[in-house]
Amino acid sequence: MKINILKHLAIFAALAIPGMAMAANNVTLSSDVFVERTVEKPNGTTAVMLEAPETVIPGDNLVFVVKYKNVGSTPATDFSVTNPLPKAVAFNGTSDGTEIVSVDGGKKWGSLSALTYTRANGEVRPALMSDVTHIKWKFNRSLSVGSEGKLVFRGTVR
Amino acid sequence: MKYVRKTDIIKSERSFGPLVKRGTMTLAITLSAMTMGISAAHAAGTIAGTDILNTAQATYDGPGGPVVIDSNTVTITVDELLDVTVASSDPGDVAVDSGATQQVTTYQVTNTGNGNEAFTLTADTAKGGDDFDTSNAVIYLDTDDNGVFDAGVDTIYSPGSNDPDLAPDSSINVFILSDIPAGATDGQRAEVELSAVAITGSGAPGTSFAGQGDGGGDAVVGSTGADGEDSSFFLIQAAQVALVKSATIVDQFGGNEAVPGATITYQLVATVTGSGSLTNLNVNDDIPADTTYTAESITLEGAGLTDSDADADAGLFDGSAIAVSLGTVPGGQTRTITFQVTID
Repeated sequence: MKINILKHLAIFAALAIPGMAMAANNVTLSSDVFVERTVEKPNGTTAVMLEAPETVIPGDNLVFVVKYKNVGSTPATDFSVTNPLPKAVAFNGTSDGTEIVSVDGGKKWGSLSALTYTRANGEVRPALMSDVTHIKWKFNRSLSVGSEGKLVFRGTVR
Repeated sequence: MKYVRKTDIIKSERSFGPLVKRGTMTLAITLSAMTMGISAAHAAGTIAGTDILNTAQATYDGPGGPVVIDSNTVTITVDELLDVTVASSDPGDVAVDSGATQQVTTYQVTNTGNGNEAFTLTADTAKGGDDFDTSNAVIYLDTDDNGVFDAGVDTIYSPGSNDPDLAPDSSINVFILSDIPAGATDGQRAEVELSAVAITGSGAPGTSFAGQGDGGGDAVVGSTGADGEDSSFFLIQAAQVALVKSATIVDQFGGNEAVPGATITYQLVATVTGSGSLTNLNVNDDIPADTTYTAESITLEGAGLTDSDADADAGLFDGSAIAVSLGTVPGGQTRTITFQVTID
């Protein structure tokens, strides 16, 4: 019954705005999270390996990888990717530094150094990495057909 | 473009029941996320069993207008970290007398892990490197949580039956009562150690106990080895008093003959030795037969004392003996008392 309603809605939407249903599928986005594990090699040296964890412990270093690809037939303009940070994770920087962040749940955005954090008692101080609640990448150019990339940021389990 | 959808959710199975599906109970999810955010600020870290859910979101303008898409959601569960610390609550050495029984040392056991955990407690009175060992050690739990041992209130610890079960970041006060041997001498010290070990397991940091973590994940030994210990010390502080009496005779003719009418000045020197103190120290001396006490002749450290028992000063004469109350006298000090009699 529910499925039928959804179908009807989809058809209705397609009729109302032709092309909408197609456009909704022309960019794919995937998220992966890895944890850094220190592995001892047979020769006695240690190496840091990335593993896809099912479980972690406080203090573990996580690497978040967001992949995007335009699989449609038209460019995607004004493309941006947002990753709200899980509450249990403290932000630890991105690989390229091109991101903007928010420390207030997505209200104000900017580079971390430009933001301030208001404490519960009203004190205002410069924002810290651990204050970050959202990370966003804004692309100034449109995402052309077939183009893809990945965005990487790091965090620590609180 | 504004984002109003909540795409990260943290939930705790222990606190809030099974995972609530996103979208079906938005309010409940938001509340749990806030609560967990507060817990996550604690030193112990994110509570064991918390799921970390990550979803990215992309927006763009397609041919038909703005489009918002979500990525897949990655879910990771936070395992239990087993950590414990034990700290002596005694500010320094606990002063005791030799032969004293049921002397108390105090400790605080803190669960510094991120899950609920019970701990096995052990007292060790046979540590090396100290001067003597106490005996009959019994561990008590501070039932009324006032930090002070209360006989009849605080309960005896029995391994396996009332192991203290501590929430993350919470503590319990623990007492060890033990007996001081009669042979211990002044200045000797004894070490009394309390250790606490996580019941789930302990060992080298990183050791993992599959499926045994609070919240359903694994339990992983943290940096403390899930094994903490600390020591308190007893110090014997004994004191003894030695009393030396001497007499000086002055006769009425200017000589030193013990003739009737001559005045005898008795001097009593109390010398306290040892590292402790003597409390409520009193010196009494009977007036010898065939002599008469000279009224108001008692002195302490050169200052006169009255004969009256009714006043506040330390001296009195009761008709047959003098008495001086010296109060508490620490080791290494002396008190000198004099009084006079005449020979009948």
